[in-house]
Amino acid sequence: MTFGLANPAGAAALLAVAVLIALWLWERRRRVIPVGALFLWERVPPQPLERRRFRPDLIFLLQLAALLALCGAYVAPYLQAPPVRASARTALVLDVSASMQAREADGRTRFATARARAARLLDDAGDGEFLVVTAAARARVALPWTRDVARARATLDALAPLDTPTNLAPAVELALTATRATPAARVVVVTDLAPAASGVPADVAAAVDWLQVGRTDDNVGIAGITVEPTPFAGVRGQSATVFVRNYAAVPRTVVVDARVDDAPWARHVLTLPARDTAPLLLRSPPRAGRLDVALGVDDALAVDDRASAWIGDEAPLDAVVVTESPALGATFRAIAAAAGGRAEVVNRARWEEEPLGAPRVVLFDGYVPAVPADANALYVAPPPGNAVCPAERTIEGATVVDWDASHPLLAAVEDVGAIDVGRASRLVAPAWGRAVVVAVSRGAPFPLLVAGERDGRRIACFGAELAAPLDASDRLPVLLLVLATMRWLAAAPDAAVLETGVPATLGWAPASGAGLVVGGEPAIVVAERAGVWRAGARTVIANLADERESDIGRDPRDHPGRASVAMPTVPGARRPLGAWLLAAAAVALVAEWLAWGRREGA
Amino acid sequence: MDARTAALLAPLADGRYDRLALHLRRGMGDRPGDRRFPGRTEPAGVEVEAHRPYAPGDDLRHLDWNALARLDALLVRRFTAEREVVFHLLVDASGSMGMPDAKLATAIEIATALAYLALASNDAVRPVVLPADGPPRATAVLRGGHRAGGVARAAACFAAARAAGRLAVGDALAAYAAEHARPGAVVVVSDFLLDPGSLQPGIEALRRAGHEVALLHVLAASEVDPAGGFRHAVLRDVESGTTRPIALGRAALAAYRAALEEHLAALAALAARSGAAYARITAGESVRDFVTLGLSAAGLVRRR
Repeated sequence: MTFGLANPAGAAALLAVAVLIALWLWERRRRVIPVGALFLWERVPPQPLERRRFRPDLIFLLQLAALLALCGAYVAPYLQAPPVRASARTALVLDVSASMQAREADGRTRFATARARAARLLDDAGDGEFLVVTAAARARVALPWTRDVARARATLDALAPLDTPTNLAPAVELALTATRATPAARVVVVTDLAPAASGVPADVAAAVDWLQVGRTDDNVGIAGITVEPTPFAGVRGQSATVFVRNYAAVPRTVVVDARVDDAPWARHVLTLPARDTAPLLLRSPPRAGRLDVALGVDDALAVDDRASAWIGDEAPLDAVVVTESPALGATFRAIAAAAGGRAEVVNRARWEEEPLGAPRVVLFDGYVPAVPADANALYVAPPPGNAVCPAERTIEGATVVDWDASHPLLAAVEDVGAIDVGRASRLVAPAWGRAVVVAVSRGAPFPLLVAGERDGRRIACFGAELAAPLDASDRLPVLLLVLATMRWLAAAPDAAVLETGVPATLGWAPASGAGLVVGGEPAIVVAERAGVWRAGARTVIANLADERESDIGRDPRDHPGRASVAMPTVPGARRPLGAWLLAAAAVALVAEWLAWGRREGA
Repeated sequence: MDARTAALLAPLADGRYDRLALHLRRGMGDRPGDRRFPGRTEPAGVEVEAHRPYAPGDDLRHLDWNALARLDALLVRRFTAEREVVFHLLVDASGSMGMPDAKLATAIEIATALAYLALASNDAVRPVVLPADGPPRATAVLRGGHRAGGVARAAACFAAARAAGRLAVGDALAAYAAEHARPGAVVVVSDFLLDPGSLQPGIEALRRAGHEVALLHVLAASEVDPAGGFRHAVLRDVESGTTRPIALGRAALAAYRAALEEHLAALAALAARSGAAYARITAGESVRDFVTLGLSAAGLVRRR
């Protein structure tokens, strides 16, 4: 129970006490009491007023008491009961990103520490409600509002950190939204990130209780792995670059082991200075397939010690070109021969007599056969009304304005922008594919290059006409785009390499599995775990490639993280004393009046 | 009848005073009455009290024939005297009786109650107010019992009293004794805030005139115990106008109390010496209790 004043400035009213004393002294000097006779008082020695001390009488004391009580009431004193723990709602935002897997010096992972603190909050919550929101790349309500402690504890026990980056802001906003309608509610964020580095706005971070865990920076990880395909160069012509970074403040030595489909490729020992990155170029893979790179190092975070990629076979061009243009046929023959491949050129009649098909890629120049080719095919400048590549009409002055850089078709093309393709068929995006390159003519955009799969075959439709000479310098971008398309058509079903936590559209839908979330139409794929998933002949590869997750060192000076947060309390009941003081003043005044009456009556 | 008079008469209506009578040993008046004075025989009466030898001139109707037959002696019956007593009810109306007003009010209420008791006993009453600024103001002697209007007239006389001025009570009593030489009973109701020595001549004058004297002392509560009334003040005598600064500390209070005790003891001693009844009341106390209990203890009132 604490004492407080709601109006401390009202203490100035105590000056009235001085006024009362002055009035009393003045009244004492002038007070004359008539008595029946001084006969008896003559025995009492007289005392001059000037020499008398200040000896207040009962009436003065009662007046003083009344005045003090009134002054006391004016300053509005109150008794504040001790704060009581609120039966609050606690919304817990638990970071389940990859960095929470880091193992600290005490042998516990950051997530284990965070979960223990969350359990402590659960214990302290009493009969309050509990909400658990997990924060990784996405925010997810792991436990809706509940008072069931056992259920909440089971939920916490079942949680595990993912291999994705952190995006705390949506999770915190979700928790704040869930608690906004409840006055005695709080949001507790348990993470290894400091508020300033979390991406959470400062005003939002100030509105929550922030528990930061983790300190170690002992991590060496694969910051990136890049396979730059060399089209039509064969497997031995491929290469991969692995970026290994030391996130620690001390130098580290690691062993980099690279394998392709379990076949050893390379093994290197790297000594990395503190907080330095070393690129490692790997050449001439032993075969095409899945590249697995592993770091031999004993560090705090294991999830970034492994990464995978895909090395395609990049076989030499082996195509059939169906064209009525001898110049175009000659161009493709020359190009194929230069790359160690071949291009067989036939006209439409020849094709209709004897269709040539798989495994070669077929290029139809301004022609769509009545019977679809039993091969992966590229239809160039398809005429309107054909059955494969929907096209409306032929238009002039088409220029490329947009493209889907994530499509594997463009993996070997550095730049597609501002290609002036001239005359082109205005394609319509079919149901089986999606627009990879978009052009615009007279202000109207339309798909210029469409790619997809139909009946188990890869199909591409290219609206531009391949007018000769195709190998002229101003037509070279169009030629490269056609070759890139043919490369994609010739490639075997390969792999999709994803970054964990980053949604991707593959153009095909792998089955959902542990750590792989697939949904929507067209299918959106999100990998929550780093790893490899098989989907028929295809492979889905997911790596953690997030600098913030791998850079696990936390400077405690960034945020003086607390080990725990106290349960919110609501102020205890405030008992104003003003009414009592007013009553006391009234009593004192009545008593003073009675005393005065008695004195005057006497 | 004004309101003040009516207020004085109201306490008398409940009959509590009807079983009481004033008692006195002296003051036998001249006129026949209902009050018997044993030892004061007279030739005629109701109750035979004594005999004496027959003397020529005695009324033969009072000759005791039985004694003559048995004793062969002429004896005349003597009877207990039954006379009227005139009660002089004197109320001090000096200025000190108005400090506070309750003192004079108490004195008037007491005097009115005594008038009622006297008239109820078929005695005579003379209500007298002793003012400071003139001769005593009194009515004619009231007779005829308490239902004949005498009480109301006495109350009206007392109710008209206003406390003012300075009065030497002793001198006033002496003057009154000189003016009313026939025996009776004089009841003085006053605060007696004066030197008891100055009161003694007046009482002795009354006694010499054959009056039974009773001193009824009325004090204010603040005079009995001034503690709490003030701490510092200039006291002003309402009669003389003189002032005296007083700081009412413990020592001063003790000195006052000692003076009061001494004064009360002196008054009581004066009354004892003078054969006067003495009783004291503090203003504000119950007058009825004072009359029925206090005056009974003082021998002035007894049951019929």
